Amino acid sequence: MQISSKELIFLLTLITFIFLLAPLFLIVYVSVYNKRKARHLEEKEALKKTFELELLKTQVEVQEQLMQNIAGNLHDNIGQLLSLTSVTLSSITPENPQPEKIRTASELTIRAIQELRQLSKMMSGQELIKKNLGHAISYELDWLEKGAGYKIHFTDNSTHTNPAYADKELILFRLFQEILSNIIRHAQATEIVIALEQTTDSLSLNVKDNGVGFILEDKMKEGGGMGLFNISKRAKMMNGNFSINSTAETGTEILVSIPYI
Amino acid sequence: MPTYFTVNTIAELICFLISLLCLFKEKNPVWKSFIIYLFLVYAVETGGIFLREISQPNVQLYTIYFLFECTMISVFFSHLFRKYKSRVDIVLYAWLALFMILYTLELWDNKFQNFPFKTAAFMSVVFVVASCYFYLLVIRDEKFRELSTYPSFWMVNGILFFYFGGTACNLFYDYLSQQSHTVITMSIRYITFNILNVLLYSCWSYAFICRYRQRNSSSSLL
Repeated sequence: MQISSKELIFLLTLITFIFLLAPLFLIVYVSVYNKRKARHLEEKEALKKTFELELLKTQVEVQEQLMQNIAGNLHDNIGQLLSLTSVTLSSITPENPQPEKIRTASELTIRAIQELRQLSKMMSGQELIKKNLGHAISYELDWLEKGAGYKIHFTDNSTHTNPAYADKELILFRLFQEILSNIIRHAQATEIVIALEQTTDSLSLNVKDNGVGFILEDKMKEGGGMGLFNISKRAKMMNGNFSINSTAETGTEILVSIPYI
Repeated sequence: MPTYFTVNTIAELICFLISLLCLFKEKNPVWKSFIIYLFLVYAVETGGIFLREISQPNVQLYTIYFLFECTMISVFFSHLFRKYKSRVDIVLYAWLALFMILYTLELWDNKFQNFPFKTAAFMSVVFVVASCYFYLLVIRDEKFRELSTYPSFWMVNGILFFYFGGTACNLFYDYLSQQSHTVITMSIRYITFNILNVLLYSCWSYAFICRYRQRNSSSSLL
């Protein structure tokens, strides 16, 4: 079949148009993809900045908590011991040496020294987190058990520490402090069970108390859930999970799980 | 005299002048060599017209120029790929060797009387693939680049337009011209290649301007 001149011109124009359009589409596609990449990079940068900001806030909060603990310890333990030592020593005179009181003063001084040593270890809490999260939690619990009289069960099933994830561990430690602080302030619990679990790719913290419990929706409505909101926000920031299970009069169980890979 | 000023020669001359202005102080030898290459392009085009005017065949001139064209574009691609990949030089030498073999064989086959069209078609396909590969590398690259002012991107855009459009049109036009209407096919082919040339040199001119601005802005930051 012979093609007419008109048809041929139309066909050639169409072919030319198509072959000019094909590279154009490719170039437009690459440009659009590149713009998407730019947006993705911007979002990634923003997330990184948010994480760094939260990390900074966490570091400040851990420091604040540490200072509160130190202040409490100084006031309640060491201060009391030194006051008692002072009172005991003031009752001793050269005429009436009272060896019994001297011995008591000596024992009180030794106890004060022991308390100071513990306090010094607590002050290096940040270092403890860097070395081992389980160790840091254990120290925090020692103080709580001794000072507030809670019955505490702590199971540390962490298997390894990766220095590359020190930031994540610090944030998890801060979440633990926040949960503990909530229990002390609101739960009226007598027993706290803490478990630190580790798998090949995750690290999870489970805190359970036998306190009064609460209804989550009510707490949120009252606007008193800022602590819980912060815990949830920080867990999500680390791509982790946060779950809370609370029943009135039976206690609360909180689980925070973060990827550790 | 006016016959020397065709759409092609005007586009080539403007692109050459822009390259001269923008790349004169260029430190990168690959980019700077475009000044010489574009001068050669313009000289060959004008020489081709001159030979045609005095009724002499100009196919030998274009056949020799074809070697420079392939070398220049290949070296430019290897320069682009070097940023992303290692062992680019081996691929470049291998490709140039293969090209030379095909070129020589085809010329030998047609007894040096015809332009090596098959080698040119093969080279165009290779350049289209290289252009697509460059886009892939740009997409994959973690570093973001503003493509609207990225000189290498615009150079490759021009190459893709020219070689993709050229190859595809050549194949179809050759097929259609077999069914008579040779005059119409040839005239549309001429118009098409004028458009492709204008697109190529417009993209390249813009790339040279971007390169000039990029160099100036980076030197003012120092």
